[in-house]
Amino acid sequence: MNDERLERYARQLLVPGFGEAAQERLGRARVRVVGADAVASAGLVYLVQAGVGRLWIEDAEDVSPSDASGWLFAPSAVGSPRVEAARAVLAPLSRFVSIEPYPKGGVPTATLVFASSGPQALASAEAARRAGIPHVVVEPDAEGGALVVVPPGAPCYACARSTAGAGRPAQPGIAALSALGAAELVLMIANPESTPGRRIDLVRGVATARPTSRLPGCACGGPGAGAT
Amino acid sequence: MSASAPPRVDVRAYACPMTYVKAKIALERLAAGERLEVWLAAGEPVENLPRSAAEDGHRVLAVEPLAGAPGAFRVVLEKGAGAAPEWP
Ligand SMILES: [Zn+2]
Repeated sequence: MNDERLERYARQLLVPGFGEAAQERLGRARVRVVGADAVASAGLVYLVQAGVGRLWIEDAEDVSPSDASGWLFAPSAVGSPRVEAARAVLAPLSRFVSIEPYPKGGVPTATLVFASSGPQALASAEAARRAGIPHVVVEPDAEGGALVVVPPGAPCYACARSTAGAGRPAQPGIAALSALGAAELVLMIANPESTPGRRIDLVRGVATARPTSRLPGCACGGPGAGAT
Repeated sequence: MSASAPPRVDVRAYACPMTYVKAKIALERLAAGERLEVWLAAGEPVENLPRSAAEDGHRVLAVEPLAGAPGAFRVVLEKGAGAAPEWP
């Protein structure tokens, strides 16, 4: 890695166990982010700052007034496409990260899901599971929310999601939940071998984690389920 | 361990935290018990690097003026067994 990159990621490189190989792995990653509303804001910034190589943002909607109350979008962005507005803010943060709309047929190496609907979250997670790539699904709710962390071969999102589904709008701790989702994904990309499948509940700022388990009969345990 | 000279990183031209970033990356390439020689500028770098290395579980075997280079120091580190391994 050249000095410019080392300097850019110096703080992260100083974390014990996180070294040059991990940073290079991040630099090669193509991360699909599903959803770019206010909930996604902190996570998007985190992915850029951590140094993922390519950020593919997927969101068909425009910035809404409630998005603009988050910290990524300015009130002047209301009404413009979320993907373009997000790119305008994120691109200047780092010239080492390429930020693009999710290309049709693009093959990501990891996925972060901030979908605002339950079916979209399930579909995005299932696509990632079938592709055998690490993914994290962020489910905000009125108390904070939860994350489901799915390394390849782990119990799938459907096995561990909230039965109530993800709610909108989310209130307390949303930036923390969003950034935590991105951090969990970054750890899986940087260190593919050692992350367990888990669910993290963030309730009023307090995080608790537990391993996920497969629901009986779920397709994620069946043939073609990957490395289990 | 071989009797050959340990690998060396010359970070005299760098400031913190780059000094330790460069040393840490060099240490990641070594096995526990192997040594690394680091050439550093006086002042903050030579004050901070031995401390950072010790905090990460490495042994600091020597901190001494670098012969023939006024104002520079030579630090010899031994990679600790307990140091966090670099992810494969
Ligand atoms: Zn499942």
